[in-house]
Amino acid sequence: MKDIKINVNGKTHKLNIKEDERLVDTLRNRLGLTGVKEGCSEGECGACTVIMDGETVTSCTVLTFQAKGKEIITIEGINGGNKIHPIQQAFLDEGAVQCGFCTPGMILSAKVLLDKNPEPTREEARKAISGNLCRCTGYNKIVDAIIKASKYLKREGN
Amino acid sequence: MSYDVVGKNIIRVDGLSKVTGKATYPQDISMDNMLYGKTLRSIKPHAYIKVDISKALNLEGVKAVLTAKDVPGKNHHGVLFKDHEVFCEKKVRRIGDPIAFVVAETEEIAENAVDKIKVEYNEIEPIFDPIKAMDKDSPKVHDSSNIVYHYKLRQGNIDKGFKNCDKIVENEYKTSRTDHAFLQPEAGISYIDKEGRYAVCVATQYPHYDRLEIAEALGVKEEKVRVINAAVGGAFGGREDITLQIHLALAAMKLKRPIKAVYSRKESFNAHCKRHPLIMKYKTGADKQGNLIALKAEIIGDTGAYASWAINVLRKAGVHATGPYEIPNVEVDSIAVYTNNPFSGAMRGFGATQIPIAHEQQMDMLAESLGLDPLTIRMKNIFTKGSKTSTGQILKESVPLDKCLAEIDKKMNFTQSYKGGVKE
Repeated sequence: MKDIKINVNGKTHKLNIKEDERLVDTLRNRLGLTGVKEGCSEGECGACTVIMDGETVTSCTVLTFQAKGKEIITIEGINGGNKIHPIQQAFLDEGAVQCGFCTPGMILSAKVLLDKNPEPTREEARKAISGNLCRCTGYNKIVDAIIKASKYLKREGN
Repeated sequence: MSYDVVGKNIIRVDGLSKVTGKATYPQDISMDNMLYGKTLRSIKPHAYIKVDISKALNLEGVKAVLTAKDVPGKNHHGVLFKDHEVFCEKKVRRIGDPIAFVVAETEEIAENAVDKIKVEYNEIEPIFDPIKAMDKDSPKVHDSSNIVYHYKLRQGNIDKGFKNCDKIVENEYKTSRTDHAFLQPEAGISYIDKEGRYAVCVATQYPHYDRLEIAEALGVKEEKVRVINAAVGGAFGGREDITLQIHLALAAMKLKRPIKAVYSRKESFNAHCKRHPLIMKYKTGADKQGNLIALKAEIIGDTGAYASWAINVLRKAGVHATGPYEIPNVEVDSIAVYTNNPFSGAMRGFGATQIPIAHEQQMDMLAESLGLDPLTIRMKNIFTKGSKTSTGQILKESVPLDKCLAEIDKKMNFTQSYKGGVKE
């Protein structure tokens, strides 16, 4: 076992973890953040996507000790846990959600894109979610939602 | 009259919970005093088995190892035929058949215990080719013939029809086995609720069927079983058959504690059905002008080790065999066959998805051989209002296929880009 500190959704946690513990398990089982989904366990589907120091990672292929001292954001912390984030609103408004299992990962990938590039093209939006699989929507509505989110964010002046 | 929903953009009721990550899929549920279950599955496609669970049972932290002997009711399930076993008793029929379910204090212990179960496989000759499987002398997957179902469609006079054709094209098409790959792997939790019922919380397409099948396996009245459908992370037909529902309920019944199980992606692939791979032998004939006169099709569907919805799927493939075209002389044979392959069942379209690969390529080849463009031959034969389908149905309502094709032609300049059936 190993003692580490990680910052998740703005809160620092002191944890005693197993050496081979995966970040997805720490987040889901120790911290109860079940908005982090697990679909494939090998970094292919992107359902377990979280933001680590401003970049997306698949939390099933990150060992928790690798997150030592880093800042993690999950879907639960995307807007400081307060009201719904403009990206979440855009996903709702555009009908970009069906079964919902890919949705948290999609939204976090969209956030990293929009943080860096506030006015992405459809092509850039597609590239940003290329590591997130969706089996329901066919992706068009998700791309629509990301473009709409960029407008919502601009309007809010974020 | 004003509508509340039609023509309006409606936010789905479960949308907010899904964008915030609060929607609860079965793997997101934990309960106090919970145990974990893992399934042991066959690694052979066709074999008699002998199972020794003693080593697994002696492992510290293992609470139970359930096998066919532990099913108090009927050791079977299946949406049409009860041809699945809850746990294989004497014989496995495919790779992935469930043999035992280990319940332990932790997931890790359960996984180790699965490795400690000894299965002696006495292999039987397997059959993987659905055409060979139809032979009388082929190895039998179940006790009798491997032919599950034979749908016959006859209209007009097929021999006369082909005699009157100027052009005939004859080809064989094959489609592949496909997995739904819904994003949320199967998971569930079972417990005895306050009213003493066996509660099973899963993501399913058929809570009512599941309830019936669980009750039958547990040997209890249906009222004693409660199926709770959690958020479902995609299904596409792949959650119509039982996977872990009965295993979980049996464990809760025996141990009187909550039991949770979550499949890995690999186990998910092994556990649920696939889309039927079809072999489609097609003969299509037309006159010089491109009017279809006769169509003969033999469709063979590999349903793998279990029937699941094979009857419905192969019937639908047969009914749709002509495509949306009026043909006076038709002969269709659509057959579902057992093999030792992964079992096939429902998947988006139920047989209607595979069949256009055959009938539409036939149309293209027929057009080319007659020097027609692909659109013109379709327009000549396509269903319109008043058409009679090969199953005898008169289409009385709106049938705007010709309008749709004309619109495509206008936008894509389709007919103009062909000369003598060849694209310029």
